[in-house]
Amino acid sequence: MSLELIRTFSIIAHIDHGKSTLADRLLGLCGALDPRKAVDQVLDSMDLERERGITIKAHTVRLLYRARDGREYTLNLIDTPGHVDFSYEVSRSLAACEGAILVVDAAQGVEAQTLANYHLALEAGLAIIPVINKIDLPQADVEGTREQLADILGLDPEEALLISAKEGTGVPEVLEAIVRRIPPPPGAPRGPLKALVFDSFYDPYQGVVVYVRLLNGRVHPGMKVLLMSTAKVYEVQQVGVFTPALRPVEELAAGQVGYLTAGIKRVADSKVGETITDALVPTAEPFPGYREAKPMVFSGLYPVEDTAYGALRDALEKLRLNDSAFTFEPESSNALGFGFRCGFLGMLHMEIIQERLEREFGLTLIATAPSVRYRVVGAGGETVEIDNPSKLPPPDKVEVIEEPYVRGVVFVPVEFMGAVYRLAQEKRGEHRSADHLGKRVHLTFDFPLAEILVDFYDRLKSLSRGYASFDYDLLEFRPSQLVRLDILLNGEPVDALSLIVHRDKAYERGKTLAERLKGVIPRQLFEVVIQAAIGSRVIARETVRPLRKNVTAKCYGGDITRKRKLLEKQREGKKRLKQLGRVEIPQEAFLSVLKP
Amino acid sequence: MVAAGAADPLSGAAGPLAAATREGPAGTPGIYLHCLFCLRRCPYCDFNVALYREDRIAPFLDALHRELALYGREAWASRTAVESLFFGGGTPSLLEPAAIGGLIEAVARTFPVQPGAEITLEANPERLTRERLLGYRAAGVTRLSLGVQALDDRVLARLGRGHTAEEARRAFGAARAAGFAAVSVDLLYACPGQDLAGWGRGLAEVVGWGPEHLSCYALTLEPGTAFARRPLQDLPDEETQLAQYRAMVEGLGAAGYEQYEISNFARPGHRSVHNQRYWRGEEYLGLGPGAHSFLGAVRFANLRSQLRYRARLDAGLLPIESWERLSPAQRLGERIVFGLRLAEGIPRTWLAEGFAAAPATLERLLARYGEAGLLLAEGERVRLTEAGRLLADAIGADLLPAA
Repeated sequence: MSLELIRTFSIIAHIDHGKSTLADRLLGLCGALDPRKAVDQVLDSMDLERERGITIKAHTVRLLYRARDGREYTLNLIDTPGHVDFSYEVSRSLAACEGAILVVDAAQGVEAQTLANYHLALEAGLAIIPVINKIDLPQADVEGTREQLADILGLDPEEALLISAKEGTGVPEVLEAIVRRIPPPPGAPRGPLKALVFDSFYDPYQGVVVYVRLLNGRVHPGMKVLLMSTAKVYEVQQVGVFTPALRPVEELAAGQVGYLTAGIKRVADSKVGETITDALVPTAEPFPGYREAKPMVFSGLYPVEDTAYGALRDALEKLRLNDSAFTFEPESSNALGFGFRCGFLGMLHMEIIQERLEREFGLTLIATAPSVRYRVVGAGGETVEIDNPSKLPPPDKVEVIEEPYVRGVVFVPVEFMGAVYRLAQEKRGEHRSADHLGKRVHLTFDFPLAEILVDFYDRLKSLSRGYASFDYDLLEFRPSQLVRLDILLNGEPVDALSLIVHRDKAYERGKTLAERLKGVIPRQLFEVVIQAAIGSRVIARETVRPLRKNVTAKCYGGDITRKRKLLEKQREGKKRLKQLGRVEIPQEAFLSVLKP
Repeated sequence: MVAAGAADPLSGAAGPLAAATREGPAGTPGIYLHCLFCLRRCPYCDFNVALYREDRIAPFLDALHRELALYGREAWASRTAVESLFFGGGTPSLLEPAAIGGLIEAVARTFPVQPGAEITLEANPERLTRERLLGYRAAGVTRLSLGVQALDDRVLARLGRGHTAEEARRAFGAARAAGFAAVSVDLLYACPGQDLAGWGRGLAEVVGWGPEHLSCYALTLEPGTAFARRPLQDLPDEETQLAQYRAMVEGLGAAGYEQYEISNFARPGHRSVHNQRYWRGEEYLGLGPGAHSFLGAVRFANLRSQLRYRARLDAGLLPIESWERLSPAQRLGERIVFGLRLAEGIPRTWLAEGFAAAPATLERLLARYGEAGLLLAEGERVRLTEAGRLLADAIGADLLPAA
């Protein structure tokens, strides 16, 4: 197939600006299946994506489009993950494209993710087709949005297409623009094979199905290929295209997008960004920009019932088959027994994994408060990285503690600026810049990653009545005045409740945490004393009074069954409590650490 | 002739229920007769009761007799000695002495009732005259359980009771005058509008009457009752309830009553034979709408609606609505949790059996409760202390054997 007749592109947008609706329209016009329906056939149970309205895996579909010039084009649509946790995956997906459709909601205008995705597309050198969507809405402001495209993004406003993906208005023009404005893929069918991995998933029958975009050469079943970052060789078993269901073909050639299987056992062996080449005649240059997706957020996952440890390990291994970005290793806790320290790309990634473990594997879990990875420089100058607050060495052994920082961009209507500043200050944000762009302002802060993990985004949304948008990029580690806050129950430290906080916030955090624990720890047969401490200094104390009375007065009329069932229920309830010495702690206690 | 259990639609001819009703009890059961009717429904009560209607009494009694007769056809009936008979309700004292007498006679015709068996009648103070009480005695009732509840007219009104303190006093006097030598008084604490002093005054007065037995219950907001539906503003707080409980235990102990169960107090030799059966996991046969039974290893309950109860009997079938066969672990668990309610406690071997798979857990629990002064595990028996009794449910839930 001539490269002239191939276009590979992505749709990028801020959340809810209509990316999926536009994709559905394009598929409809080209007579393809709804990819989300088809995807169910190939990916096992990612109900979560639909429930949360976000894309977690990249969905890819090949469309056949007869353009107005009379020729039939192959359009490869690579649908990118839509969340900041997965920005590395987004960048790899974009690296597989020549163009991007940038969708902007006519009523909302340009937002933080619009901007972030636009910059990613620019860095990838893509042709950008701006599209103003939802022009059917009564509150649509087409002219204002055009101005923003020019002022904020520096795009030519005349190039923006006006559409309503919901009603289908203007969508045929989008297809034409793809053909005319996006260049065909570069590449040479004759060179040595050079293919970029931009996604993959694990299939229990075929092993890993690897999504590739070929720059040079050809690949076909029987061929020996080399995965360059791991230096492992595999024999290709099948190659094919996405219709969007997987359809085997005889070969894939330069410029094409498709999949291959080669008996690869784990997704971790064919990571996003990997270069695949011919094992006999390897390419000289792998694709640039490959990096290991590094977990940023860590949490301990423990089974509520000790006996479920093996089941949890098996479930983690299964999930890991399909998710190379997530890591786990055994750890133990005095409070929670045996479990695993798990690393995630971000909070959403963490929630997804936890939810899948509970839903798909029927596990009941306790998750400890998420932590970032800290870099600790010891008194002797040696550096260790810790991802579990309880592992922080004692203060006299610590010279400096460094924590990861991010550069955060808040995009918000001017009237909410004051509220954003106050929030940023509370979150130890360092103000970097402010750009007024019409009625909006583009604010840049450097934040400690730990501060924006939990409730930052929700609070930003609520203080701006939903108008603020947020995006961030990782910066380096920076030294901070950090201390470990410990929680003691009846004098015993509970390692799983320890957390690392800034010195100036420790007192307030300790106080609220002790109060909150008092609210969730049920009264029991003994008094429970809750203390928050920094080192040996107790900074807050609360008491859960002992249970004084828990007895049915009257066991009447011989209805013993009812009474027994009530007690059995009471006992079942207790099973969900974690026993720590004499104290029984409910799961909520560990969650309460989450909230600042 | 169709055996009573054989045609039961719930279990089929070969089910555990049929086996239980056909084979009968393993030992000496108590018999409970549920007398359904009340003049009103008290707002805290969740028992199976129906409003009293003159025209419902005869069909009700007729049905009760027929239910008894169905069991009477079973071979086990004639060889099963009965050691207690309990008329509960509802308000059994709404039934005429002749009707009570007729039922006692019918029971005695069906089962050999042991000489000196305890025959208890629950009674409410209203309409309780000496003549009527003489009639019950003559009919064979040996023990009267009087629903006094409180001796403060404001509290009685809040409880929706149909009698005054004065009527309760007169009723107790009438029982003595009629010659009842075993009288029990029911009292409620933790009532709306009842403070510690008010409870103490009522209790002291009742002690002055000198009943042989007292049952003192904390008012409990049972789901589905009027009290549970609309929030009560003036319930005593937890501290007051605990003080009321302690005052009760101390006052009754000083007056020579033994707290032989969490809520039950008796002069020596006057414990309730029938009620102890429930706490000891012994068998009983319940007759009447909604009555519960325990025969062999099967617990079962009658239909609650009087109309459906009667209709089933009209068809010649036992009016059973639900049943459950206890596993050995469940049975053991019941004996443990109910046995712990008794002053005598339970044999330690029961716990050892229940925790056979996890003896260390049991030792840990016993040590923990022992240290906290909630439980005594001395020698062969395990008992709750005074403090432990107030936590009997929490401790019982811990000590249930693994299912």
